[in-house]
Amino acid sequence: MKTLVFVIVIAGALIAIASGIWVATALGNAISRNKERDVPENSASDLTEE
Amino acid sequence: METVISVTVVIAYVILLTFVALRARTAHEFEEFSLAKRSLPLALVFGSLAATYVGPGFSIGFVGKGFNSGYLFLAIGLAYAIQNILVGLIVAPKLRALKNCHTLGEAIGEKYDKKCQVIAGVISVGLCAGFSAVMAKAGGDVLDSLLHFPKELSWLAVVIIVGFTTLYTTFGGLRASVITDAFQFAAFATLLPITLLLTFWFNLKWDTSAFFQQASEATKAGLESTSAIKIIGLVIAFLLGEMLIPPYANRALASKSTKISRNGFILAGIFSIFWFMVMVSLGIMARSIIPADTAEDNVLYSLVHEVMPTSGYALLLVVLISVIMSSLDSLLNAGAVSFTQDIVKPFANLSNKFSLNTGRIATVAIAITAAVSALAVDNIISGLLTCYAVWTPAILPSLILGLWIKNPRPLAGILSMSVGATISVILWIIFIFFLERSADFALPSVIIPGLAFSVLAYFIGHLWQKPKDGQ
Repeated sequence: MKTLVFVIVIAGALIAIASGIWVATALGNAISRNKERDVPENSASDLTEE
Repeated sequence: METVISVTVVIAYVILLTFVALRARTAHEFEEFSLAKRSLPLALVFGSLAATYVGPGFSIGFVGKGFNSGYLFLAIGLAYAIQNILVGLIVAPKLRALKNCHTLGEAIGEKYDKKCQVIAGVISVGLCAGFSAVMAKAGGDVLDSLLHFPKELSWLAVVIIVGFTTLYTTFGGLRASVITDAFQFAAFATLLPITLLLTFWFNLKWDTSAFFQQASEATKAGLESTSAIKIIGLVIAFLLGEMLIPPYANRALASKSTKISRNGFILAGIFSIFWFMVMVSLGIMARSIIPADTAEDNVLYSLVHEVMPTSGYALLLVVLISVIMSSLDSLLNAGAVSFTQDIVKPFANLSNKFSLNTGRIATVAIAITAAVSALAVDNIISGLLTCYAVWTPAILPSLILGLWIKNPRPLAGILSMSVGATISVILWIIFIFFLERSADFALPSVIIPGLAFSVLAYFIGHLWQKPKDGQ
């Protein structure tokens, strides 16, 4: 039981960290796409994947 | 020296956040300002939703609850996860399927009529301003504890938090809000669980027996000190209190597709389970590290101060500011878009540029209102509960029944929202000011009758008004 609680808590922490990394990666992609499209004339960027 | 390190960490974080906000760029159209052109991918919908709901209550508050009540609050928090998953499965795809809606008010307007949209708009803007005031107060408190302002200048902390958040939200709109939310989510979703793992490693030396014992004792103490009625009330609050508040609805509407809208809410719901587990476990670990008489709201600060070096402590406090700013920016944007679309637009034919400018002015106005009102907020949790108490009875019956009933009648929507809001405000005043009950005790006593009267009024209106020709 002790080990089970411990494993669940550690797994929860690791899943939360993995979620943070996933969102950070998506954010990095969105930012770099915005940068690529960063041309003059007020080009309206979006966050979509091509 | 400690202040120098703290200030350096704050400045570095602000520079990084500014870079991210600038990359989001200025919104040039109202469609960008309000809905980020309905282009949000799954990861950003999920990250932004989670960043918005993880505010001071779900971070500082849950660590304190873990300290005193162990895993009791993890069980109660499951109601919140269920809420998000149900919204994802049932409501969010239906909302996203409404093609021309920017706000929850517009969704209600499309199902009923413009009068209902305006009423929903007024309630939405009021709620966003109220929530923003609570966030401004919480953000000011954290910044104050980080930079140690002189007492007479403590209001400056609120001004800095609200000012910086307003700046990027005003120019970048929802896209800036979502992008900065994602950045802030990435920061706190990694750093707080890492704090948990480090505490386990260095302070508890992976002693699972000691942790399990603390968890058992705390949970037992929590069950003994919390009455069944209070637990039921809290479950109801977590299940209904924040359901589909304007910033969440905006993210449902701004998703790239109905599938992303649905999955974003479901993932956010599942994430909340792991998040609550981490926060409550941090509180349980703190029991063997900090004094037993530490106030609930100070447990996280005290724990981090005890286990982390100065720079780590400063970084964690900055992360807590992020937690709050990510909720504040979403609320400011949602309130501003609702003001423009639901309150101004029904009475005037607005051009795209005028809508955009109205949204920006409204963002600033709501921010100023929130900063001033923050001085009147005594307690963060009570402030949040006040907002929940009014929102659920006022909006949820009309919204959900309107999405599901064929040919909903406008009178039903008007009666339900008016009666729900009025009854809940009156009951709240009676319980808090006349009977002097605590906010967490009063909440179920307000939400349940408020909801019952709101649904009753809805069906009276529905039966009273005949359907329009052709319906």
